[in-house]
Amino acid sequence: MLRTFALAALACVAAAPTALAGVGDKVDYKFRQAPVNAMGVAGFADLRGKPVLVDFWGTR
Amino acid sequence: MPSALKLQEQYGDALQVVFVECQGSTRDQYEAFAWKMKWMGGRAMWTEERPFQTVGNGLPETALVGVDGTILMQGHPGNFGSKLEEALAAEIKKIKSPPEGTSAALKKAWGSFLKGDVAAALEECDKLGTDEAKAAREEFVTRTQRRIARAKWLVDEAYLVEAEAHLGQLAKDVKGATDLEPLVAAETAKLTEPARAGEREASKAYAAFAEQVAKKKPFDAANVKKAELLAEKHASTKSGERAARFAALSKIKPAG
Repeated sequence: MLRTFALAALACVAAAPTALAGVGDKVDYKFRQAPVNAMGVAGFADLRGKPVLVDFWGTR
Repeated sequence: MPSALKLQEQYGDALQVVFVECQGSTRDQYEAFAWKMKWMGGRAMWTEERPFQTVGNGLPETALVGVDGTILMQGHPGNFGSKLEEALAAEIKKIKSPPEGTSAALKKAWGSFLKGDVAAALEECDKLGTDEAKAAREEFVTRTQRRIARAKWLVDEAYLVEAEAHLGQLAKDVKGATDLEPLVAAETAKLTEPARAGEREASKAYAAFAEQVAKKKPFDAANVKKAELLAEKHASTKSGERAARFAALSKIKPAG
């Protein structure tokens, strides 16, 4: 039980945004773990010069 | 989701789509889900890390980040109407234009850089010698070094098919740029090193397999078997590990 709770808490921390940016702000986020199919992109700085469409979604 | 994938397909390398899973699925679960939905195989990338906070109360939510890294729009995609695609098209146009506020004197340098002639762009900046030109020069070098760093990552991680394409373009772009050309040549030379022969063969085989199955029935039993055979044939290579991971993902239960 305790282990499950700890894992869930860890997942929340891992998924939490570190940048409190909104419309008008610059994004300079660096990924802690490279995204699937990132192909060497470590963060938004690597994408400067092209637009980025961020799609927040869920599998459930 | 499919509309973002369509935009990624439509604009290719000029756009980067980043899917952020927000409902607590594990990486394995959402990657398996995306394969099953035939969403893999393109340029989009997938993560569970939110690069910035969401603003709405539910999903889906979309944000457009401009070419300079500024968040331009954010919200439920249904509320944007045609504005999202219009804003995106405007950003795509900017890829081939100097940044707003660029002086007339520097437009030539930016023009060369945006056409892919890095050497001419750097030379033009050096000739001008102004503070603005020095800043632009730094920007050109930084952007190119990021591309070289990406190529190095692709080589090191044995994405050799992708590395070859990336380095081919880079080599054309940095031709004559004395500081940058040797860096690209060094990475290009690694592609043909005898020690990488196994990785090279495995990379070609897995890239062809992934492309072939992505839009059909990725986790069809025959495809999973093919992946297992690839993993066996190319054991101890990174692409062999990718094939084994594909087979393992086919057995992942969805989050629920």
